[in-house]
Amino acid sequence: MSFAQRFRQGMNAAIPIWIAFVPSSLAWGIAAQAHGLTLDEIILMSAWVYSGPAQFAVLAPLAEGSSAATVLLAGFLMNLRFLPMSAALAPFFRGAKRLPLLMASHVVSASSFIVPYLQFQKERGASGGGSVADGNGNLGFFVGVGATSFFVWVLGSVAGYGVALSFPLGLEEALKFILPGYFAGLLVAEMKDLTMPLICIASMLMAIPGAMFNPGWGWLATAAMIAIIGWRLERWLSRA
Amino acid sequence: MAFSRIEMILLLGLSAFVLRVLPQMFLVANSFPESWDRLLRYLSYALLCGLISITLFMTGARFEAESAPYRGIALAVTIVIAYKTKSPVTGMLVGVALVLTFTSLR
Repeated sequence: MSFAQRFRQGMNAAIPIWIAFVPSSLAWGIAAQAHGLTLDEIILMSAWVYSGPAQFAVLAPLAEGSSAATVLLAGFLMNLRFLPMSAALAPFFRGAKRLPLLMASHVVSASSFIVPYLQFQKERGASGGGSVADGNGNLGFFVGVGATSFFVWVLGSVAGYGVALSFPLGLEEALKFILPGYFAGLLVAEMKDLTMPLICIASMLMAIPGAMFNPGWGWLATAAMIAIIGWRLERWLSRA
Repeated sequence: MAFSRIEMILLLGLSAFVLRVLPQMFLVANSFPESWDRLLRYLSYALLCGLISITLFMTGARFEAESAPYRGIALAVTIVIAYKTKSPVTGMLVGVALVLTFTSLR
């Protein structure tokens, strides 16, 4: 299948992400305006950092004029999750053109990771676990998901800045649920073995004390620890 | 060394870009051994689940105890529906409807 066809497939798969991104990006734009960021800074941050959790995490220290080290460390720790996500996607892009691939990697996010990753795994499963060599086509699918979601995010941030929306409480609650609800649905719909659900449940539960301990990196550290423990235990059990 | 806000945003974005692009520069030509592939998958999924949890239940370092029970119920129902129907969108829509119902009942 051509790049363009795969791009369109990716766009179709991204529609729920766009719906989820609208309230999140609006909320970010409103919050950033309330913290005194200018429109230029909001656009730059949404387009160049492009990471909802990191953008929210550094908003207060950035607006309060905290030290650069505090802001950069908080953002870096929040963004560390991109490393394993991008690494997990990398083998599916074998054979893709180098420059477009490197540019496209900018739109790696939790959403643009999970939708293509599950799709590629499904396709690999359907082909009997063999070839993942259609790197260019896979890149088309990834860009269809990632780039379109990226534009929704940036435009939503701008709209949030311009429109000081105040959602009714009930609607705000529902909007807050869309993205995590969609992520949870995506993950559970694809679960097969026992290890993955256990790791997911443990990560969800332990993220809360982790974030209470340190809102910046506590939940990241607990999630990483749980994944590594689950992986080691699985290896140990399979050897035993 | 003092940085302006714009410079800090540029540095922040640069660090995010490096984290995103490094695997694409060095890992594309490689296929990982099965066990490393699994580790990467577990790490990514665990981080995603942590993100779900803090998005739903936390505001900064504060646990939102008042709304956590009904958000938790809505999440559980979302998971069951998505699992049964194999449709994440259906699960999410039912979860959103539940959150709206709970909120209107409060």
